[in-house]
Amino acid sequence: MLGYWLEKRWLQYIVLLILVAGAVVYWGFFFDFGYDFEWSVLYRTNQTYGEVLGLSLLTGLKLTVLITLISAAVALVLGTIIGLGRLSSFAPVYWVSTAYVEFFRNTPLLVQLFFWYFAMPMALPVGVRELIFSRSPVSYEFLSATAGLSIYTASFIAEVVRAGLQSIPRGLLEAAYSSGLTYFQVLRTIILPLAFRAIIPPLGSEFLSHMKNTSLAMVVGVGELTWQSQQIESLTFRGFEATTAATLIYLALSLIISSFNNAVNIRLRVGQRPEKSLASTLGDLMFWPFERIWGVLVRPVRWIFFRKKRSVLQYSPFQAGIRVAARWFLRGFGLLVRGGFAGGLVYLLYVAGRGLASLNWKIVWENLGTLLIWRFPAGGESELFWGLGGLSFSILMALIAIGVSFWIGLAMGLGRLSTILFIRIPSIIYIEIIRGTPLLMVIFWIYFFLPIFIKTYLNVFWSATIALTLFTGAYLAEIVRGGNTEHPAGAV
Amino acid sequence: MKIQRIAFLAVALAMAGALMVPSPVLAGPTYDKVMADKVVRAGIMTDSIPGAFYNENKEWVGFDVDMAEEIARRIGAKLERVSVTNKTRIAFVQQGRIDMSVANMTHKRERDKSIDFSITYFFDGQKMLAKKGKYTKLSEFVGKKIATMQGTTSEINVKNLLKDLGDPDYEKNVISFQKESECFQALRMGRVEAWSTDSTILLGYAAQAPGEFELVGDFFSDEPYGIGLPEDDSKWRDTINFTIQDMWADGTYMKIYNKWYGPDTKYFFPMTEKIEMWP
Repeated sequence: MLGYWLEKRWLQYIVLLILVAGAVVYWGFFFDFGYDFEWSVLYRTNQTYGEVLGLSLLTGLKLTVLITLISAAVALVLGTIIGLGRLSSFAPVYWVSTAYVEFFRNTPLLVQLFFWYFAMPMALPVGVRELIFSRSPVSYEFLSATAGLSIYTASFIAEVVRAGLQSIPRGLLEAAYSSGLTYFQVLRTIILPLAFRAIIPPLGSEFLSHMKNTSLAMVVGVGELTWQSQQIESLTFRGFEATTAATLIYLALSLIISSFNNAVNIRLRVGQRPEKSLASTLGDLMFWPFERIWGVLVRPVRWIFFRKKRSVLQYSPFQAGIRVAARWFLRGFGLLVRGGFAGGLVYLLYVAGRGLASLNWKIVWENLGTLLIWRFPAGGESELFWGLGGLSFSILMALIAIGVSFWIGLAMGLGRLSTILFIRIPSIIYIEIIRGTPLLMVIFWIYFFLPIFIKTYLNVFWSATIALTLFTGAYLAEIVRGGNTEHPAGAV
Repeated sequence: MKIQRIAFLAVALAMAGALMVPSPVLAGPTYDKVMADKVVRAGIMTDSIPGAFYNENKEWVGFDVDMAEEIARRIGAKLERVSVTNKTRIAFVQQGRIDMSVANMTHKRERDKSIDFSITYFFDGQKMLAKKGKYTKLSEFVGKKIATMQGTTSEINVKNLLKDLGDPDYEKNVISFQKESECFQALRMGRVEAWSTDSTILLGYAAQAPGEFELVGDFFSDEPYGIGLPEDDSKWRDTINFTIQDMWADGTYMKIYNKWYGPDTKYFFPMTEKIEMWP
């Protein structure tokens, strides 16, 4: 009975309208925020500081975009190399790549950034350190944040690249090798073009996460978007307005990246010609300059340099001799490189081992309890969970967040597939808003601004856990949706 | 259709959950609320030595902690300690999450737009902390990198100082971190030439590495600390002000002061002023 009525379009529109109107009326007229909104802080010149504070958000945006682009480019190159290394038959390369991926993927980015900024320089000799601090063309804050993000994202890209490479059928490679192509020719003409087509979609979502991760650069003193919004907050105590503005900017960035991803995905799809749509037109537009450049420049160049190769099919004795010599030389050179790599690795491990041994482990030992169990063992009863902290807190938070977000993800993921509008639209809004916003921003919202809406105060633990739950929920919802669109329509 | 129904039920449940918000906290005069509950919630820092920090035994101690405890004792309420940061101490007072913020906070007019303050309960000023023997006066810091904390008056003061001394890159040369401990770490590894904030905080951290760092130059700002209180709540503000004056009058204030800043401590900071007294 309910199902019958819910399928009526007009009823859906009416319910949707009632919901929206209800929310607008309730929060617009009846709800007392207990907070006076002062949006002019963003566009009017502040009397105390003599500047338009909203402009600093644009400065932050510039830095966010810059860090995102530079570190994404570095991560793409580094990640591709590491991803290839994970498929190497030379054991030291395989182990180094695997260790890299497992290490950087499985430690929090925040800890890594702290390491690159606060700990790394201490391991360098004083002279080198001062050279980096004073002579580096960009500030060390920017440098370490960009490098840290590149290294972190590269480990994710490496896995995407590896999966893409492994998706290439073996027979194709065997055919290529038996046609007499060398490894690099196979790599260039067969493996990489095919693999990149397979890895473009996951790469796009890595790029989106990467953009959001740049918000963490604020902890090492980089004045990017999140930092600037916090700055406005601390200068004027207008946190709500500043954070809203920053969130909208992040959402706009995410939207741009998403539509870019969609356009590329449609363009690169093999076989079927895409239907004309906004995204496909955008894709055509984006690829147009590259195709022209390719057409005008590369093909004539190739034609001039390579057209004569095919005229003679047999080598002269001299040519053959050179080829043999070159092959031996390459083989020897390869051995040398491998030996050098292995030797360098052993030396690096030795240095790292010596460095680790000389650390002051006593401090770690003395604070082990704090790190693992107690934040504040002698705390009063006002402490949360008897003063638990450190690892035990993290595990508790993760368990609650995963346990609850699974159900949110299930509900919202299915909700997004629903044909009933007033279920689908709220689900889409939830998923896209949360996925387009950095976790740090979600935490700010829950911690500082949720209390304004619900008129009650949450402590740190619960705010962080709720933020984490909502954040994970949106990601799980997309996974649920992906899994649900996999099976054929007739199965249901 | 099955999926439809599950989805519908799940969303309906989620919406019902969203509507069941906890009952609002009664916003009313703080004094009556504190007296009724016999609990006073104080926002206290965790990272400011010796204002409020964790000692070796992981106990939360310091001048601000003792002040808050004493105020609560005199009011006849139990103290509930809430940890705050430079970021949260004002927002928490505004939102009523704490009744007072005893968090080495400078009484500034810009801040007074959002919350109220008690009379000054501590007199501090801003200085620079640098490697020993490297600098003698403030003008030598022009063109050098300086660490400070984001969202503090120190940040504004040090930028103004560098600007007045003629540093064209003062915006770039001041690096703002989130916490005191991070500033100190940046100073230790030589990323910055100096760390600038209230002198007692600098003294507290300098005592962690005896003989390595020293304060440079004169005070370049006054930092009168006030206890942050909810806006327009005069009965509560009177209570706090009278309590501070009572503590000064009977000597309790100096006892607490000397425990943390007296000549026998690592953080010796002579008391040169007098708390405002109303006859």
